[in-house]
Amino acid sequence: MAESKEGVWSNMVRSKKLTGVLLLTALAFLVLLPRFVSGYEVRVITNIFMYAVIAQGINLMSGYMGYLPFGNAMFFGTGAYITAIGMNKGLSFFLAAPLAALVAILFSVVFGFVLLRLRGHYFSIATIGLSAALLGVVQNSTITGGAMGTTLPLLTLSPSATNAFFYFGMLALMVFSSLVLYLVVKSRFGFGIRSIKANEEAAVSMGINTTYHKVVTWAISALFTSLAGALYAYWMSFIAPAEVFDIMIGVDCIVIMLLGGTGTILGPIAGAFVYEFVAQSVWSALPNYHLGVLGILIIVILLFVPKGIFSGIGDFARRRQMKLLRKAGT
Amino acid sequence: MNMQMLVNGVLLGGLYALMGLGFSLQWGISGIVNLSYGAMVILGCYISLECYSLLHLSPFISIIISGAILYALGALIYRTVLQRIVRGGIVFTLILTYAVRLIIENGLLRVWSADYRTISLSYAGDNFQFAGTVVPLVKSLVFVVVTLLVYVTYCFMLKTKTGKGIQAVALDREGAEAVGISVEKMYLINFALGTALAGIAGSLWASVYAFSPDSMNMIAGKVFVIAIIGGLGNIWGAAAGGLLLGLAETVGATLIGSQWQEVIGMAIMVIVLVWRPYGLMGKKFFG
Repeated sequence: MAESKEGVWSNMVRSKKLTGVLLLTALAFLVLLPRFVSGYEVRVITNIFMYAVIAQGINLMSGYMGYLPFGNAMFFGTGAYITAIGMNKGLSFFLAAPLAALVAILFSVVFGFVLLRLRGHYFSIATIGLSAALLGVVQNSTITGGAMGTTLPLLTLSPSATNAFFYFGMLALMVFSSLVLYLVVKSRFGFGIRSIKANEEAAVSMGINTTYHKVVTWAISALFTSLAGALYAYWMSFIAPAEVFDIMIGVDCIVIMLLGGTGTILGPIAGAFVYEFVAQSVWSALPNYHLGVLGILIIVILLFVPKGIFSGIGDFARRRQMKLLRKAGT
Repeated sequence: MNMQMLVNGVLLGGLYALMGLGFSLQWGISGIVNLSYGAMVILGCYISLECYSLLHLSPFISIIISGAILYALGALIYRTVLQRIVRGGIVFTLILTYAVRLIIENGLLRVWSADYRTISLSYAGDNFQFAGTVVPLVKSLVFVVVTLLVYVTYCFMLKTKTGKGIQAVALDREGAEAVGISVEKMYLINFALGTALAGIAGSLWASVYAFSPDSMNMIAGKVFVIAIIGGLGNIWGAAAGGLLLGLAETVGATLIGSQWQEVIGMAIMVIVLVWRPYGLMGKKFFG
C-alpha cells in the first residue's frame, strides 16, 4: 500500500505534462500579479527576476560546466554602460540593448579564449581580476562619465506603466534565459559541457572540442547577464561604475544559485524568491547587520543544505518516507 | 627609472611580499582561496590601532598581539567551518570565505565605523639619505621586519618538524598520511599561520598608511596578484611577486598616473596567469 503511494508520487513528479501545466500556471500567476500588488512590490519582484537571470548565467557556467565565473558582474556592467552610451548617442533602447549584448558577447569570446584555458580556482580569480580591471577602465574614461556615473534618457510613461514595462521586460528575460538554459542543457552541446564538468581530460580524449564549448557557454552566460544590465540601466536611468561592476552582484547570485540548487533549471528562480524574502524580512529588522546576516546565511546553507533547500527538503522527505516504510515493514 | 623610484618601489614591495605570503601559503598548501584575507589584514590594522591608542604600543611590538589573535581566529575558522567544506569543491570554498569576509567586515564597520584611521608615530616624519635618495625611516623599519619575518617563515617551513610536515602534505597528501603525518593538523597549522601573517602585515600596513574597512578590497586584489605572480605556496615566489608588484605600481604611478594602479596590477596578473599559470617561480604540482 505504502509502496504504491510512493510510486504514484514519483510518477506524478516525473510526469512531463504535469510539470508543464504547473509551470504555465506559475507563469500566468506572475503575469497577473502586478494587478494585485502595490507599485513597490512590483519593483521588488522585478529585482527578483533580474537576480534570477544573472543567477541563470552563473548556473550555466558553474552548475553545468564546473567553471565558477566569480566576476560575471562585469557583463552586467558592460551591458548597462553600452546601453547608456548608446542611448545617450540617440539610439532607442531596443537598438542599444542588443548592441550591449553583442559587445558583452564579443568581450566574453575574446577574453574567454584566454581565460578559459585556466582551470578551477584560476579561472574564477582571473574573472575577478578582469572585472576589477574593467571597472578601473570605466572609472577613468571620459565617454562613460568616469567614477561619477552617467544618466540615461527617461522612459516617458506613467509610473505604473513604467513599472509594468520593466516588470514584464525582466519576466520575459527570465523566461527567455531559463528556456535557453533548458534547450542548451538538453542538447548535444549540453552533454558536451556536462562532460567537461565531469572530467575535462576525458572529454578532450573523447574528441570534444572543449575550448569551443567553454567559450560558447560563457558567451551565452554573458548574453543573459548583459541583457539584465541593459534593462537595469534603463530602469534606474542613472548608473555608477562601482555599482554596476560590483563584485557583490555575482556573490549574491552565487548564493541564490546555491540556495535554489546548483545545476537545476528552476532552482535559481526559486532561490531568487527565497533570497529576496529573507533580505526583505531579516535585513529590514537588522539594517546595520545585513552583511553579517548574509555571511551567516551562506555558512548555514553550505553546512546544512549544500545541494540547495529544495533538494534538501526532498532528501528529508525521502528519508522520512523510508523510515515510515521500514516501520510499516517490521 | 631613477634611484628614488627604485627605493620607493622596493620599500612598498617588501610590505606586499609579506601580505602576499600568507595568502599564497593558504592557497598553495591548504588549497583554500581565502577571500576573507583582505578583511583579516584590516583586522590586524585595527588591533594595532587599539594597542597604540590604549596601551601606547608601537605597531612593531603589537605585531605579536595581532599575529597571535589572528592565528587563533584562523584556527577557529578552519576547525569549525572550513575543514568540513573544503573537499566540497571550489564554489564552496570561495563563497564560504567570502561569507567570513562579510561577517568580519560587518563587525569592523560596527565597531570602528567606515572612517579612515591612521597611527601617527612620533618618528613618522623622519627620514635619512641613502645613495642620493630620501628614505623614510618607518618604511625602512617595516622593510627590515618584513625581511626577517619572511626568512623566519622560510626557516620554519624547511627546518622544523611541523614545517617539514606541511611541505610533505603539500607534495603528496597520501604519502604524508602513510608515514604518519596528521594531514588535517598540518592544513590547520598552515591556514592559521597564513592568517597570522595577514594580521602582522596589517599591523605593519597601519604603521605606514591610512586604512578603513573599505581598504580590504584593495588589499584582497593585491594579494591575488602577488600570489599568482610568484607561484602558489612558494615563499620566495611570494617575496618576488610582492617586490615586482611594488615596483610596477611605483613606476606605473609616475609614468601613467596613480589612478591606473589597480588596472596595472590586474593586467600583470592576467598576463602571468595565461603565460605561466603556475607563477613565475612556481612548480606545476602546486596548481
